[in-house]
Amino acid sequence: MIELVEKQSSIKLLEGEQRIIVENSLAKSTSVEVMPNSSLVHYRLNKGNDNKLSVKVHENASYKLITLQIGNGTLDIDVSLEGAKAYCQSDIAYALNKEDKMTIVSNFVHNANETTSNQLIKGVASGNSYATFEGKILIPYDKKKVEGNQQHRALLLSKSATVKAVPALEIYADDVKCSHGSAIGNLNQEQIYYLQTRGISKEEAYKILTSAFLREVTDGIDAEDLRTSFEKEIAECLLLNV
Amino acid sequence: MSALLEVKNLCVNAEDKQILNGLSLSINPGEIHVIVGPNGAGKSTLSNVICGDPRYQVTSGSITFKGEDLLKQNVDERARNGIFLSFQSPVEIPGISMSTLMKYALNSHRKAKGLPELDAVSFSKLIRECAKKFEITNEMLKRPVNVGFSGGEKKRLESFQMAVLEPSFCILDEMDSGMDVDAVKIAANGVNLMRSPERSFLIISHNNDFLYEQIKPDVVHVLVSGNIVETSDASLLIDIKNNGFSRFLNKGMN
Repeated sequence: MIELVEKQSSIKLLEGEQRIIVENSLAKSTSVEVMPNSSLVHYRLNKGNDNKLSVKVHENASYKLITLQIGNGTLDIDVSLEGAKAYCQSDIAYALNKEDKMTIVSNFVHNANETTSNQLIKGVASGNSYATFEGKILIPYDKKKVEGNQQHRALLLSKSATVKAVPALEIYADDVKCSHGSAIGNLNQEQIYYLQTRGISKEEAYKILTSAFLREVTDGIDAEDLRTSFEKEIAECLLLNV
Repeated sequence: MSALLEVKNLCVNAEDKQILNGLSLSINPGEIHVIVGPNGAGKSTLSNVICGDPRYQVTSGSITFKGEDLLKQNVDERARNGIFLSFQSPVEIPGISMSTLMKYALNSHRKAKGLPELDAVSFSKLIRECAKKFEITNEMLKRPVNVGFSGGEKKRLESFQMAVLEPSFCILDEMDSGMDVDAVKIAANGVNLMRSPERSFLIISHNNDFLYEQIKPDVVHVLVSGNIVETSDASLLIDIKNNGFSRFLNKGMN
């Protein structure tokens, strides 16, 4: 496994396995192509920018994305599964505060048989922030044995924060398994009470539970330095360390 | 001897329904008290009210702990002053490991006492020692709090936390439910290991044999319809085991 730490606008993986780490992507548009039988792990952080990510996954290839979206900006993700047995796992964490406005639009197209996509989107909105998530899974009519999953979970930390979710499934085929779900809520009072009975203050319990919520995404990063820096970005954005 | 915990004429509501009706209870340092009673009598309510659960409203009466008015303290203050609740069904907390939780909890306790945070070596030594007592593996400590554990494992993890935090008053709500015979023995051993002249226990259970044989409590109370209707020594457990609660039922308020 090779680590590349750079800012780039085009990634094409011809063979083998590779791990690409893009720390704070400045590229307006990034295209990724994962050629047959290869596998790519892609970590990225986007802070305050508008950016577009276009991904093509070919036959028997796998693409795993973990991305952190902080603050203002838009993230457009187009994933197209182009060859049989192509696989995509896309995990997104977002954190917003103050007057931040953020939009994530994801578009997954299953253009081949036996393709699978799994999406997990988890976000925390604080202050007066406003987040929009639009996610679409498209499965054309002649495709077989396709599986597509999309789960969006958001946590509202203040009464004036808003999260809007628009999930959509467009399925024109029969032999498919698809699921999607979206839940937007507040911190769990039972969990806060439990932490308090252990001597932890209410304020600290909020911080612990908020970080824990997004850790489901960041825990997937197997590079410790990067995982720590992602968690730090989240803590800074949501003022969890004060 | 002045009582560690003194509950006087406590009335408690949950969502406008009265659950405790003028309950009084006094527990001295070093004593183990057991509360038995039919389902819905208010046993878990009492446990949670002592801890300050915001779902319940105390409408009258008082609770004094170590001579201080407990009702003026919030949940975490009570915990840092030495009250610990082993939950009947502990909530799952994904995204945070048991060992991280204990680090936060222990440091909160230490901070309140004006002590510095424990260094990493002393912390892991303490955690290992306590884990051993309740047969908690390293892997269990790394997993998210209460996620994917069996009922018995969850109870053992509650006991483990109790050992780490060294409270002066331990409430064990349904401490043996969902546990097999071996797990019950581990939990009972834990109570006996932690028993000391300064530490008191309030244990809620339906398993009279277990309480009588493994714990040997000092005092047994029968709670019916929100009030204590009988208080005696451990032999009361055998009486109830043989004769049930029926003779107490007409003594409750309702």
